[in-house]
Amino acid sequence: MSSKVSKEMLLECVNAVIQSSQEKKRNFVETVELQIGLKNYDPQKDKRFSGTVKLKHIPRPKMSVCVLGDQQHCDEANANSVPCMDAEALKKMNKNKKLVKKLAKKYDAFLASESLIKQIPRLLGPGLNKAGKFPLLLTHQESMTQKIDEVKATIKFQMKKVLCLCVAVGHVGMNPEELASNVNVSINFLVSLLKKHWQNVRSLHIKSSMGPPQRLY
Amino acid sequence: MIIEIHFVFIFITGLKMANRQSNQLPLNLPQLQNLVKRDPESYKQEFLQQKDHFDAVYDAFVTYYDQRNDKYNEEIDKLMTFLAQVAHCYTEELTGFPQKLMDALEKHAWEMHADNRMSICRTLILLRNKNLLEPMDLLPLFFKLFQCPDKRLRKCLQQNIIADIKNMNIKRRNNKLNTYLQNFMFQMVNNSHAKTAKISLNIMVELYHKNVWNDAKCVNVIAEACLSKIPSVMITAVKFFLTSNVAEKEDGSDSEDDIPNPKEMMMANRVNKKTRKREKNLDKLKTLVKKKKKKQKTENFQFSALHLIYDPQGFAEKLFKQMSTLHDQFEGKLLTLELISRLIGVHELILLNFYPYLSRFLRPHQREVTKILQCVAQAAHQLVPPENLESVVEVIVNNFVTERNSADVMAVGINAIREICLRCPLSMNRDMLQDLSSYKSYREKSVMMAARSLIHLFRDANPELLQKRDKGKPTIAAVEKKAKGFGELDAVELIPGAEALVGNDGEEAEDDDGVDSDSSGEWINLSDSENEANGSDEEVDDEEEEDEDDDDNDEEEDGDDSGNEDAESEENKNEKAKEKKNPKKKSKKEPEEEGLDPQARRLKALELIQTQILTDEDFKRMEKLQMQKQVVGAKKGSAKKRKASEAIDHVSKQIDELVDLGAIENIHKRKRHDREARLEAVKKGQEGREKFGKKKGRMNPHASTTNKEKRKSKAFMMLKPKLKRKGKSSVQERQRSFKHWLEKTRKRMLKLK
Repeated sequence: MSSKVSKEMLLECVNAVIQSSQEKKRNFVETVELQIGLKNYDPQKDKRFSGTVKLKHIPRPKMSVCVLGDQQHCDEANANSVPCMDAEALKKMNKNKKLVKKLAKKYDAFLASESLIKQIPRLLGPGLNKAGKFPLLLTHQESMTQKIDEVKATIKFQMKKVLCLCVAVGHVGMNPEELASNVNVSINFLVSLLKKHWQNVRSLHIKSSMGPPQRLY
Repeated sequence: MIIEIHFVFIFITGLKMANRQSNQLPLNLPQLQNLVKRDPESYKQEFLQQKDHFDAVYDAFVTYYDQRNDKYNEEIDKLMTFLAQVAHCYTEELTGFPQKLMDALEKHAWEMHADNRMSICRTLILLRNKNLLEPMDLLPLFFKLFQCPDKRLRKCLQQNIIADIKNMNIKRRNNKLNTYLQNFMFQMVNNSHAKTAKISLNIMVELYHKNVWNDAKCVNVIAEACLSKIPSVMITAVKFFLTSNVAEKEDGSDSEDDIPNPKEMMMANRVNKKTRKREKNLDKLKTLVKKKKKKQKTENFQFSALHLIYDPQGFAEKLFKQMSTLHDQFEGKLLTLELISRLIGVHELILLNFYPYLSRFLRPHQREVTKILQCVAQAAHQLVPPENLESVVEVIVNNFVTERNSADVMAVGINAIREICLRCPLSMNRDMLQDLSSYKSYREKSVMMAARSLIHLFRDANPELLQKRDKGKPTIAAVEKKAKGFGELDAVELIPGAEALVGNDGEEAEDDDGVDSDSSGEWINLSDSENEANGSDEEVDDEEEEDEDDDDNDEEEDGDDSGNEDAESEENKNEKAKEKKNPKKKSKKEPEEEGLDPQARRLKALELIQTQILTDEDFKRMEKLQMQKQVVGAKKGSAKKRKASEAIDHVSKQIDELVDLGAIENIHKRKRHDREARLEAVKKGQEGREKFGKKKGRMNPHASTTNKEKRKSKAFMMLKPKLKRKGKSSVQERQRSFKHWLEKTRKRMLKLK
């Protein structure tokens, strides 16, 4: 059986997306996203899946990451000019919902050092959790910049209240091959998450933020 | 007023006299109704007559209601029914009729006789069913009537409202109307009158279950009702959330099975005599099937009510706050606790106060303690700080798992801990786990089983915590898996099991760069041709000379095709045979002969998933590999096979959103001989032997019965004097009869000898 989406088809679609964005330049770098429709899937019975996968190329380089760290991590963050906060700063928020919400809105992701991460629910309350931005663990063994890149390259598939998903897989500044490889990985991963694999997929589209969608499957 | 009625009556009877010969229509309303329905035009005169009569009666009924002494007015009842029945024939004449009835109810519903009230409501419902009334007009009135102290009426109205809204949405969703009705209903839920609030809630719950109003808005109003001050409303709403997952769709499967197959019918038509009716039926059937297909395409997906709540965190917090005010009612509290725990588990909320609160109740003698344990397990998830859960686990260990408690209590405790750790493995520390795992050889079976299941869980989740002898032989999967720290990112670069693709395409990847479509096609062909040869392959000794790659392919395919246990075990055999011959080659997952170490394979697989889209076959292969990883030992020396079924368990196991109470209460071992089994054994022994005991039937079926037997069938009253005599008899008499009996028996014995 041949694969559901041929290589040529994929490349064609990717090119079309990039071309349409070049024809009409926007004032920002458009993100390319993958939209997935599901079928034959009973969200009441089947487990609602979620999974994270690391892409080869960073889809959103402008993603902002904040480090909530102890002294050592804060120093390192300052040296790398990464925004950071220490325990004192967090305590100052005093579980104030508005401040926490503001913090959650300001950054796209958080990293926290080992000593701090367990206290975070206590310090900040449920605010970060609510926004779906619970910090990730940063240990002293790994380098901070590498970890931040890893976080940036990671995309998460999670089904919410509707039977379609949407993930950012790249931006229009990437060249077609990079984009295609990202799309490949994310499609493969998503389909591997599904119980009946391709039989659960209704449709696949890729589109840039403002451009027309291209149907893959 | 009575005089007036009489006057009208006389007027009518006068009319009646005029055409008595032809019929008695004015008095015989059902007959008139029948005739009117058939021919509205020609009976208009009679209808108008009745309408005038009704107007007069109505005026009297309404204006002088307090003089009626609350008596049932039958006349107005009959007239009303008649008018409503024929209302669709004379819509113009009856424009004001519904309004009149509603006015009467609005003003005098409380003083009215119950039957009159009921009949007016029925008439209005009839008019509504004929679509002569808008639902928006009727609903407010009905909700007002819920305040009437009349149970029958309330029940009737509730059923009617549900049916009405369901019918409105049967063909297509009328969104505008629905939003209006919903808004109205939502106001009513907050009504201060307890009955009204309860009934409107009931209506909404019913409509949700009937799939009419299953949107988020409705669910959230019900959620709001959980915070109601009125206990009955609160409990109904909470119960809705606790049961809505279980509720199956009742309708939907009714008409699907009885549609015959059109192909069959076509075949039958070819054989049978051709008639027009049969052709028509076939056409009808075809359209029906088409429609059904269309219906299946637009399936709508149901999310359980818990998922549809807008702000779960806020809702859970409010519920928790409200619960601390519930002092006296344990049932309500327990239900609320369960709901909160479900919310926490499903939405991964953080509600830190919840755990210490629960641990207050965690004592063996607490009422419904298993349910509370279930709540704890449900409220455990990955994002809870480990120390919070650790303290709860500690409480359970201290209160339940000590030897001074009974075995059942201990087993329940360990089971609950297992359920918690399944959701949040970090909540367990080394000492506690080793302490608990020492119960694996406890004398009571239930405790032993619980402890073993806990060990089994940690073998998978975090073997580091276990003692060395409990760890078991590590499988490849166990080695690959690392215990996750709190908040650790578990992004994968490589889809688990993707190495399978490289291993199989090993050579192909080298010579034609793995063009997916034809490589997999070729692969399938191979499997078909060699499947039969597979069995003999094992015995043939010259396996070594065979192409190794081919062999590899061969093996992996045979499970791939069937994927069931048989294939798995066969494969194991196959592998064992191989091991004997070539002890170096233990794990066939690593085709060393190709010179690909795992690292290189990983890289290659990574490249593969970046360049091509995988097919269903690829995924099948990957799943297969994952399953094998569970079975095959990691170290070369320790290639002990686990059972294939175990591996299937591992793969298919997924953590449920909700905890099953049975998992915690699972302490009663099944007796080897329970009642059913014993009875069955007895029945089996009785087969093919004669019955024991005295034979009821006699040798000669025509022989007469003895007096003793006859006495058994006699009525007691006939025997009563005789028995009485016996009781009253003197000692002398008794002696005499005893002697008599002895003599008789002696004679009989002699005769027998």
